[in-house]
Amino acid sequence: MNILDIGDLSVDFPTSKGVVHAVTGVSLSVPKGRRIGFVGESGSGKTTTALAAMRMLTPPGFVSRGGIHFNSPERINLLELDGESMRRVRLRRISYIPQGAMNSLNPVMRVERQIWDGIVAHEGPADREELRRRSDAALEGVGLDPAAVAHLHPHELSGGMKQRVCIAIGVCLRPDLIIADEPTSALDVITQRHVMRTLREAQGGIGAGLILIGHDMGLMAQSVDDIAVLKKGELVEFGPTRRIIKSPRHPYTRELISSVPLVGGGRFPASAPAKPAAAPRRESGPPLLEFQSVSKSYGGATALRPMSFRLDGEAPRIISVVGQSGSGKTTMGSLMLGFARPTTGRVLFEGGSVPGRSSGERLEFRKRAQAIFQDPYACFNPFYRVDHTLRFPFERFGLSGGPEDTARAMDEACRAVGLAPEAVLGRYPHQLSGGQRQRLIVARALMLSPRLLIADEPVSMVDASLRATILDSIHDLKESHGISIFYITHDLATASHVSDYVMVLHKGHVVEAGPPDAVIGDPRHAYTRLLIDSIPWPDPDREWGSEVDARAALEEIEIQPETVHRGSIPGFELRQG
Amino acid sequence: MTGRESSAPETSAPDADGDSARRVRRMRRFDNPWRNPKLIWGAGLLLGIVALGILGRLFWDADLVFTGAGTPRQAPAGFENLRGQAGSWSHPFGTDVSGKDILALLIVGAPNTLYVGVLASLIGMGVGIFLGFSAGFIGGRLDDAIRVGSDVMITIPPLLILVVAQASFGDIGLTAMAVLIAGFAWQSPTRLIRAQALSMRESGYVLMARLSGASTGHIMFREMLPNLVPYLFGSFIANVTTSIVTAVGLEVLGLGPQRVPTLGRVIYDAINSGALIQNLWWWWGIPTVLLAAMFIGLLLINLGLDEVSNPRLRRL
Repeated sequence: MNILDIGDLSVDFPTSKGVVHAVTGVSLSVPKGRRIGFVGESGSGKTTTALAAMRMLTPPGFVSRGGIHFNSPERINLLELDGESMRRVRLRRISYIPQGAMNSLNPVMRVERQIWDGIVAHEGPADREELRRRSDAALEGVGLDPAAVAHLHPHELSGGMKQRVCIAIGVCLRPDLIIADEPTSALDVITQRHVMRTLREAQGGIGAGLILIGHDMGLMAQSVDDIAVLKKGELVEFGPTRRIIKSPRHPYTRELISSVPLVGGGRFPASAPAKPAAAPRRESGPPLLEFQSVSKSYGGATALRPMSFRLDGEAPRIISVVGQSGSGKTTMGSLMLGFARPTTGRVLFEGGSVPGRSSGERLEFRKRAQAIFQDPYACFNPFYRVDHTLRFPFERFGLSGGPEDTARAMDEACRAVGLAPEAVLGRYPHQLSGGQRQRLIVARALMLSPRLLIADEPVSMVDASLRATILDSIHDLKESHGISIFYITHDLATASHVSDYVMVLHKGHVVEAGPPDAVIGDPRHAYTRLLIDSIPWPDPDREWGSEVDARAALEEIEIQPETVHRGSIPGFELRQG
Repeated sequence: MTGRESSAPETSAPDADGDSARRVRRMRRFDNPWRNPKLIWGAGLLLGIVALGILGRLFWDADLVFTGAGTPRQAPAGFENLRGQAGSWSHPFGTDVSGKDILALLIVGAPNTLYVGVLASLIGMGVGIFLGFSAGFIGGRLDDAIRVGSDVMITIPPLLILVVAQASFGDIGLTAMAVLIAGFAWQSPTRLIRAQALSMRESGYVLMARLSGASTGHIMFREMLPNLVPYLFGSFIANVTTSIVTAVGLEVLGLGPQRVPTLGRVIYDAINSGALIQNLWWWWGIPTVLLAAMFIGLLLINLGLDEVSNPRLRRL
């Protein structure tokens, strides 16, 4: 029996520039107890379709055509319900698990009260004992200990726990359909695996249908029964997961699948692998970047334990720093850029301390050490045209020989990263896509031709299909321009593809380091193994690790705190302490 | 949204008629945010008052503000006073007990009142921008000092200090009064801008500017300030309103400039000379209406600016 029938659904957003057809003619059905994945990039209409079923479209969006029928207890058209009847359907019949659990829980209410809220709103007042019994059952159902968690406020929970509380709220009334909108997008892979398993168990336990919205084909392959691929508001392919993954018919589906970087899938810039014995490009002098027993703590919390390394920089290298949120990898980046001062030890750039003492030294340091940040939306000042971001540092560092020279340099840099200068220059940041903006930031780094580049999660906020191109551009910075790069990421797969050396960080401590083939191809440390096992791959046959393995691995991490050295590369040296 | 907008032409054929098209036409009216009815009405009211000051001096004799310019206690044209004397067009808004022409008082007084408010607010905003940015962006000890300073100043009731200051300085000019009021107009802009600067300091483009070797001044005034312009404008207008309220309050207490006509001064004279008992309603009533128009104009501009800088407030 189908629990939800979406028939020829179209959703329009009237804007002052014309009607935007967010969803066009989408028809599909969700059978009871089956898991359906909605996959697509940002703007593909996957969330809009789900919100239409909840009647929660943001104005001015509205359903312009089609119907959404819900078959429990009897067949009703959701679009024709009045406000009060729709309220009864929400949570009771269809529950919605939102994207950012950190923002969707009420910060001033205890966890159990937030579960009671939904029960009371649908079933009327009940006595406290009864409510507590049900909220405890709901929390147990998502693997949380009610005695420990029920009385806490949301800020006392971790991100994964908050997301599981959201799932508990979503399933406590045993709805017939659960809509989960990217429930794990803000979580690291280990927590992601845990939350996804919780969600699947909770959904299987009550026999509800599930719509899982996401952009990651790998996650879909491991989580759902059917996949619906949406592109620009249209349903381009729909079928069982195995069929879609093994033999995708639509080119867009193929593109989505191939954009998931595979661990051990070979180095992906098609160019030849880095020549290890490249001729020294400069006289040997002080090392490019050196950490001398650097550690950093904020108040009582240690973000980075003492570590030392030395990057010669004679031949350019890409060093990857991999870790989950809270591992200290971003702290490492801001120490390198001089945005944070080390608590102990010294950070040296070409023999001088970072960021330099006098303003002249600081300017010289900035000229030679540049960065690419995670969020391409925030990196441009919305007040200025994008040219400002490229032109200002170029002129500030005295690299320009006049306005024409600057213009020529900007054109060249744009072409080098695969952008047509006339299509991007002279426009405002909001007129460009995320991918274009991030490539412009790479172009900016290229124009300044620094010696060292810190790339902090440069592709994590970019659509999957563009990641490869941007990583390619970054890789090209090293190959053709001789720039050494620190690539900071949570994504082991891309790290294995681009880098010469990988450091895996766990709680401010390097647990495993060495060339990527050794570290990621054949991990020795339990934490590295756990990370790799937790990555979702687009392979429906793969066993996505089990709970028992994860527990065992976490225990092993506790007893094995030493760094596992897996070989070294010339020009980079890592030491303990 | 950008992605969706750009994808629109590639999806199904647009339906030219029907619900969507009608909604689009409704949205088009708000295409240019500056054509906001509130903003236009508010600006119109204020410009009308400025025009009264400029045109009035051209077409009316400003010397009529002096004592004995006409017969005392004349009603406005078309009305009669208590003695049954009809008003004449030689003094369309009537005269006060000493024969001053009310229209001339308004022509000279209204721009003076506006001038005090705008000048006090300009000084207050200038100080507030400078201190707020310094506190928010540079931080540390400087932040502590500025924050504590402005917090302490906020708790002091301005009217109390101003009454004492005015009383001890005696007769002061319009500019001196504006400067005194500005001493109480910089605290809230300082706090507001400090909060904005604090959140903006961590934003991506400020980090980018630091990476580009930008100086502190450049980051504060070239990167951060332009993004605050609509916000500063709104804050400025709100500040003008409070400054005028303070100024009029002082003038009505008789503590304003003694030799220069202002709207508050006219009301003070009216109250002092028993205008209410003698039923000389035009003496205090017309300046009050003009003040009300001024405040409504400022309020409308503020609401309009809010809608311009925050599209979510626009009605769809």
